[in-house]
Amino acid sequence: MARLDLTLERGPDMASIPPIARTHPGGAVARLDLTLERGPDMAPIPPSLARAPAEPWRGSVRRDTVVASLAAVQAARQEESMAQGLRDKYCIVGVGETEYSRNSGRTTRATAVEAVRKAMRDAGLGAGDVDGMMSYQNNDSTPANWVAGDLGIRLNFYMDVIGGGSSTEALIGLAMGAIEVGMCRTVAIFRAMNGYTEVRIGGTGARSAAPVRGQDLAQVPYGMRSAGQAFAPTFMRHMYDYGTTSAQVAHVKVAHSRHASQNPKALLKERVTVDDVLKSRWIVKPLHLLDCCLETDNATCLIVTSAERARDLRQRPIHIMGVAGRVSKPRTDFHWAAGPVSRVAGYYAKDIVFGQAGITPDDVHVTGSYDAFTFTTMLQLEEYGFCTKGEGGAYVSSGIIELGGKRPNNTAGGHLCEGYTHGMSMVIENVRQLRGTVDDYCPKAADGVHTHDYSPGKCRQVKDAAISMNLGWAMPPTGSALILRK
Amino acid sequence: MPAPVTYRGMSLVIPDNDSEWIEFYAHARAHRLMMRKCSACGLMRYPPTHACPWCQELGWTWQEVSGRGTIHSYEVVMHAIQPGFKEITPYAVVLVDLDEQRGQPTPDEALRVIANLVKPDFTAEADANVAIGKRVRVVFQDLADHLALPQFTLSDEPPEGRVWRLPE
Repeated sequence: MARLDLTLERGPDMASIPPIARTHPGGAVARLDLTLERGPDMAPIPPSLARAPAEPWRGSVRRDTVVASLAAVQAARQEESMAQGLRDKYCIVGVGETEYSRNSGRTTRATAVEAVRKAMRDAGLGAGDVDGMMSYQNNDSTPANWVAGDLGIRLNFYMDVIGGGSSTEALIGLAMGAIEVGMCRTVAIFRAMNGYTEVRIGGTGARSAAPVRGQDLAQVPYGMRSAGQAFAPTFMRHMYDYGTTSAQVAHVKVAHSRHASQNPKALLKERVTVDDVLKSRWIVKPLHLLDCCLETDNATCLIVTSAERARDLRQRPIHIMGVAGRVSKPRTDFHWAAGPVSRVAGYYAKDIVFGQAGITPDDVHVTGSYDAFTFTTMLQLEEYGFCTKGEGGAYVSSGIIELGGKRPNNTAGGHLCEGYTHGMSMVIENVRQLRGTVDDYCPKAADGVHTHDYSPGKCRQVKDAAISMNLGWAMPPTGSALILRK
Repeated sequence: MPAPVTYRGMSLVIPDNDSEWIEFYAHARAHRLMMRKCSACGLMRYPPTHACPWCQELGWTWQEVSGRGTIHSYEVVMHAIQPGFKEITPYAVVLVDLDEQRGQPTPDEALRVIANLVKPDFTAEADANVAIGKRVRVVFQDLADHLALPQFTLSDEPPEGRVWRLPE
């Protein structure tokens, strides 16, 4: 086998470069260290991509090194041309949300209508321009056809899906599919819940009194009913397997609270310290109160349409590079059986979403993780490859995930501080980040003028954010992901 | 249909056509921990489901297991959600690797069961005594003529591997 160092530059051949080596669209050059086997497949390497091995490297060097046989490269080409068929062809064109509160004082129908209408206005779409609507819920909300009716929207497609976390990204993918096959043209996706005043997300109240039958008998009779109770053994086993500490993970709450202090919409705007988290009362070990997210009344909405239609709308289109929906570990009925217990679904989702997008974690400027708990953020960032598996504790406590750090996470404060939306708000925030019009305290924020002063009560716009990623979580064995670019 | 069993304020509903749990709980009431064993590949599974997740065979038989195992992970509930659990809080929920079928058919798999870690009188074991690596054995908490809940209690066997609990 001969070893060649190839220099790749953007060009018409870009689509055939394996995703792990591709530059992001803003793109500098990428470097591939390929181990090639001589053979009949040699010819397809475009001569323009090859340089003499002796020639010194010029340009930016990436740390990713791909070693692949040429046959593998060719196989990857074929697979990719299929997987990337929809990359950049669909956009998020409108976003909207109601106030985050613990007392909406109205129905989910009312809040859903407000959120959908705001997203339509944001996009510059009228009732006649939206013909698809989807929502997700757990028998705690209003179906899409009623909300559409209220707004004078005649639907060519609608669907209400059972589910909570990880549904946002999954429904975005389904909306793309519905549009792609011609079922409809533009889809509004909403989630409306009175998660504090009606059906409490934390599991207290009506949910705690529900009869126990079927699959629930394997856990609920043992006092394992709420999300925190259902996830905690995963978190605990991660601490055992990798030495992760409560103090490390508390940094997630610290970071998100700092971000929330720059967000007029956030329910909790007060910055907290690691000590605050560790001294808050225990809920279910290893979770303290401040490791847990909020319960909130709210509705949220985003609108998906084709890149072609997006060009004529009010906002800068935010392109969907890749999406993975409800990707799962084996034995999703009782995931403990399959293991490893400290592994989460991102392990399986990452190749799908990065494969479609043709980028690596290094190319992502801002992330939005599903922070139902501090631990879920740590586990997902680690599983998607933003750090090595097992080093999530060190990663989230390094400052990287804070505004001003290399790759801020949940810049609006997330579920831990802004409000609990079953995942939608983190996608909305990333759309605004990529537009450059995050609604912080900068006087000219709406015009995209930001100070990038990240002290309390100031700015939360990430400088030059071009690519974002959302990491959606339903439970340890199920997750979704979404990569966006401006 | 047998009347729902009320346990710690919860209604446990096991109708006549419950083809997953009726027999499992009847065996538990006879103080036997039974797993469904695939008629084709011989692997056991929990919970009692309808097909073999490894070979998709529908046929199965009940197989008794020893009920001995090791704590793989755990949690200690300090703030109960269900009202009936408030009186026993704090209580531990343990994820137990049963001795049978450990690391089969792949190294990360095991016959794992979730239950509470209890003292012999079924009160909650003290938080300080719960740890990954500790050995446990099954005990059966009788709730009705047709139903007992499998629970785990600490055994007197030496622990397996590294013993770890959440630092105070």
